[in-house]
Amino acid sequence: MRGDWDRGWLRYGFIAPALVLLVAMNIFPLLYSIVLSFTNADLVGSNSSWVGVLNYKFVFKFAKYGQALRTTALFVFLAVACELLLGFGLAYALRDRFALKPLVLTVLLVPMMLPQAVMGLFWKLILNGNYGALNQFLGLLGFSQPQWITDPDLKFLSVLMVDVWMWTPFMMLISLAALQAIPPHIYEAAAIDRASPWRTFRRITLPMCAPLLGLAVLLRATDALKQFDLIMALTGPNDRVTQTLSALLYQTVFRDGKVGLGTAYSYVILVLVIALASVFLRYMGRLQRESDS
Amino acid sequence: MRGLRFLFVGVYLCLGTLPLLWLGITSLKERPDTISVHLKWLPSGAAGAEDDAYFAATLDAYRQLGVVYAGADHAFYHYLKNSALIGLLSTLASVFIGTSAAYGFSRFPIPGAKDWLFFILSTRFLPPLAVVVPVLMMYREFDLQNTHLGLIILYTVFNLSLAVWLMKGFIDEIPRAYEEAALVDGYSRLQAFRLIIIPRAASGMAVTGVFCLISAWNEYGFAMTLNNQDAVTVPVYFAGLQGNVQGIPWPQVCAGVLLFVAPIILFTVLVRRHLLRGVTFGTLKQ
Repeated sequence: MRGDWDRGWLRYGFIAPALVLLVAMNIFPLLYSIVLSFTNADLVGSNSSWVGVLNYKFVFKFAKYGQALRTTALFVFLAVACELLLGFGLAYALRDRFALKPLVLTVLLVPMMLPQAVMGLFWKLILNGNYGALNQFLGLLGFSQPQWITDPDLKFLSVLMVDVWMWTPFMMLISLAALQAIPPHIYEAAAIDRASPWRTFRRITLPMCAPLLGLAVLLRATDALKQFDLIMALTGPNDRVTQTLSALLYQTVFRDGKVGLGTAYSYVILVLVIALASVFLRYMGRLQRESDS
Repeated sequence: MRGLRFLFVGVYLCLGTLPLLWLGITSLKERPDTISVHLKWLPSGAAGAEDDAYFAATLDAYRQLGVVYAGADHAFYHYLKNSALIGLLSTLASVFIGTSAAYGFSRFPIPGAKDWLFFILSTRFLPPLAVVVPVLMMYREFDLQNTHLGLIILYTVFNLSLAVWLMKGFIDEIPRAYEEAALVDGYSRLQAFRLIIIPRAASGMAVTGVFCLISAWNEYGFAMTLNNQDAVTVPVYFAGLQGNVQGIPWPQVCAGVLLFVAPIILFTVLVRRHLLRGVTFGTLKQ
């Protein structure tokens, strides 16, 4: 009776619902959008016709696209770097036990669980140039009060700042796990060898944390690459300075109504995401094998 | 050195929590105090002078959550109900379908299981905006646009990868001996799954459910693009208020945001020991 389950097709009954749903709602749409990207389909659903590779030609000709690609790359790099430095710094500072540690950690972790779109709107109040709390505070200290969200020189920085506020806790969480996984006897051995604190940090702490920090960076980078909610809330999808690939895609499809061109854009994003994700998946497979053995 | 560490953590803790504190303070204000050029941060019984730090604290904003504001068709609670309905049903579906798949992968020899699992995980990395256009076209065919069901299906699938991976971690930790004993006693596979595995995986299912619920609760991209009338969720509602010509009703927005994120904060505290597992798809355990 058990043999039926283990060898027969019935065991697939357990996994079939999940796979069917994923294929229907993820794989099929992706294939369907390949078709769409070769047409001039629009959002209202009037008759569309085949236009060949025209959309892809447009994608690479538009200056907007190059700009969005640069903005996205810069955003991913700066956001991940700031969050890693701050998050690892916090974890390193919090590595020892102390009485209030669980409470402090929980409070620090809250922002990353909150809805980005909603918090983005609220940050608009804080960052408002005329009545925002940040500027009122800067005013009390006698600093100048810039227009954080509308000044072209500052709005990218503002989006970055809110992203760092939301996602530094994520880096801290994984960094803490990495620091806690280092066996204490290694530090004891270093102390016996009279290694300086800096040397211990360079030669033991950092290399032993590196694999998990790599995992954190990859996870965060794939997420930052998709960043859309914060940009929509803070500056809107059609802002020259903060228009990332996702924002450009939204603008093209839902504001300009050009579905064919939009799906062609989405394939360019997909190639980037798939490249990053496959690095991540391979990396994660390796980590799992190491922890299994 | 130690002092420096605590200073760093202390400064970050203040800066990190100040925005949340400000959310609470703003929800107690009246609108003119939210757009004053002076920093109004001290609640008091009566309104202070125009240029001092006091503002008259009131719970009016919470009472006015039932009011319909320009930029939306209904009041906050209507959208909260949509969010709750869509979040809870999609979470239930993800957890059950995910648990069943995780059990299959955990207990049976399935050819290419590793590849299937990584395929499932890879779907998590798809940018919502890259799939939303074809999904929109499909939904038009099936009349699922602007329906709760449409978003429930989408969120269920969107959270499946997380549910499968987290549940596989939890089920792998349940010794096989339990169900093997049950099978010897004459239970069928399904009975063993239902009566032996599910009760032992219940706490894992609860943790998985919390993560699925939070990600459905917070979702914005799909919710905004797939509907604009009947199944609008809270994040889309708040974003819509930006179109209000009289200016955003900040105290009411802040009161609503606080009510909306309160369950998330509560759940974060409840699953704090599993946060690491949750954000790394079960790869890392605390």
